[in-house]
Amino acid sequence: MQKEIKPDDGIIVLKNLTKRFRKLVVLNDISLSFEKGKTTVIIGPSGCGKTVLIKHIIVLLRPGLGEVYFHDQRIDDLPESKLGKIRAQMGFLFQSGALFDSMTVSENIAFPIRQHQETQDQKKLDEIVKSKLSLVGLDGYQDYFPAKLSGGQKKRVALARAIALNPEVILYDEPTTGLDPIRADVINELILKLRKELGITSIVVTHDMNSAYKIADRIIMLHNGKVLLDGNADTFTNSTLPVVQQFIKGETSEKDLQSLQVSFEDIRTDEGKKK
Amino acid sequence: MPQQQIKDSMSAKSGTSPKGGLEQLGSAVVNTVSNIGRFARFQADSLVASAAACFKPATYPLIWNQMLAIGVRSVPVVMITGAFVGMVLAIQAYDQLAGLGVEEHLGVLINLSVVKELGPVLAAIMLAGRVGGALTAELGTMNVTEQILAVRSMGTDPIKYLVAPRLIACLFLTPFLIIYADVLGIIGGYLIGVPYLGINSKAYWSLSAAGVELWDVAVGIAKGFFYGAAIAGVSCYKGFHCKEGAQGVGQACTEGFVGSFIFILALDFILVVIFKAIYLTIWPLKLLL
Repeated sequence: MQKEIKPDDGIIVLKNLTKRFRKLVVLNDISLSFEKGKTTVIIGPSGCGKTVLIKHIIVLLRPGLGEVYFHDQRIDDLPESKLGKIRAQMGFLFQSGALFDSMTVSENIAFPIRQHQETQDQKKLDEIVKSKLSLVGLDGYQDYFPAKLSGGQKKRVALARAIALNPEVILYDEPTTGLDPIRADVINELILKLRKELGITSIVVTHDMNSAYKIADRIIMLHNGKVLLDGNADTFTNSTLPVVQQFIKGETSEKDLQSLQVSFEDIRTDEGKKK
Repeated sequence: MPQQQIKDSMSAKSGTSPKGGLEQLGSAVVNTVSNIGRFARFQADSLVASAAACFKPATYPLIWNQMLAIGVRSVPVVMITGAFVGMVLAIQAYDQLAGLGVEEHLGVLINLSVVKELGPVLAAIMLAGRVGGALTAELGTMNVTEQILAVRSMGTDPIKYLVAPRLIACLFLTPFLIIYADVLGIIGGYLIGVPYLGINSKAYWSLSAAGVELWDVAVGIAKGFFYGAAIAGVSCYKGFHCKEGAQGVGQACTEGFVGSFIFILALDFILVVIFKAIYLTIWPLKLLL
């Protein structure tokens, strides 16, 4: 299924990526290229290595084997000191938001700008923070501490921080998980807006199929450390692979049902014994 | 029980089989060596980053903040520690000296012990608890909530941003805190020795002045640099490498404190040997006189 991949096939190229944690193989010889200006959604069951995959793109994790290219330049073997500039061109939205809890919303968003651009002018910084917060619909929350925000607000502030440096690529780690359907849709609209208005390349890790169908130009499904299916929404709905159908429809497998049944029978017999 | 079944099936899946003795020994050696390597690299990176931060005005505000938290706010506990050390020494040593009829020498004993050994070491241990514990807990929590990873993801080196200001603050302020401990130790010893135990004030101070050299005071304060570095180095390392969850942070704090404690005592021994050698090289005959 995998053909020979070249470093200039896309803005981001992963070549024969393999990652193992001790004996557990999480990513197994994955080769993918991501096209500039497109939104790619990576789906798969929890624990299948989706987050590990996008952490490799920004080199927060280094591959055991294989290579990572950004703009035709190999980045996985660069020392930390040289990765700063590369990472500044990417935004990473953490699943938990990972906001700095000792800083206000405004300081959180200003953090990457202070670190990379020598703009220390408070007025200018305030303007940038205001524009980023308006984009996510949270202008006016500048002086709040993250602890005072709801889950959805935290995610939106984290998104504002991720786009603070106007990155070319944004990596989203489960952006809609834990949000109510309306808030989740706000995030989807934001991702669409960023692509349409700013031409940002997005790579989204999720297991929310509604979100995937809405935002994706391309969907990739990971399973057991391999790419199981790669295509658009139609490829997935028309796929005859049982694992794919089960995942996109959110159905439990026969095996899981059986083990559930066994557990319940155990509880029943335990209760019977007690009586 | 269903939970038991789940556990059994989980351990069967992950393939945990009882390891042989040789395999266990091997993995223990590999772990130890890689931990030592990681620790050494972390310290080397921290020192380089701290040296660089000293010449970068943008990091000064971060350093001031840490100096306030680490240094200024530690003054009361360090003063209390020093005062009690001096007072306890006076009470404990008086009887032996009085038995020999040389109770006027109490001042020398207290002041020499305080400035050379007890002031620096006990102040450092107090700081390992107060400052080291807070550093490990803060950085550990940042680590488990992915905030350190977030710093990296935005292209900033967390060692430069988080460790360097803390290391610099610890390094430069521990000696000053030791001065506070020394002064309060001397005052505490005096208050018990002279007004309470009735030693002649003039004899107390003149014998002290003759017995305590500038070298002794300087050595005690100089130790502060090393203790400060040890506290910040060990605590930050433990925070950066703590395991997940509340338990992980708790464990890291314990290990951080115990680690700094042992480092301080071991460093003390090494520094005493080195400083004594230096002293003998500069003034070869002084000890004999």
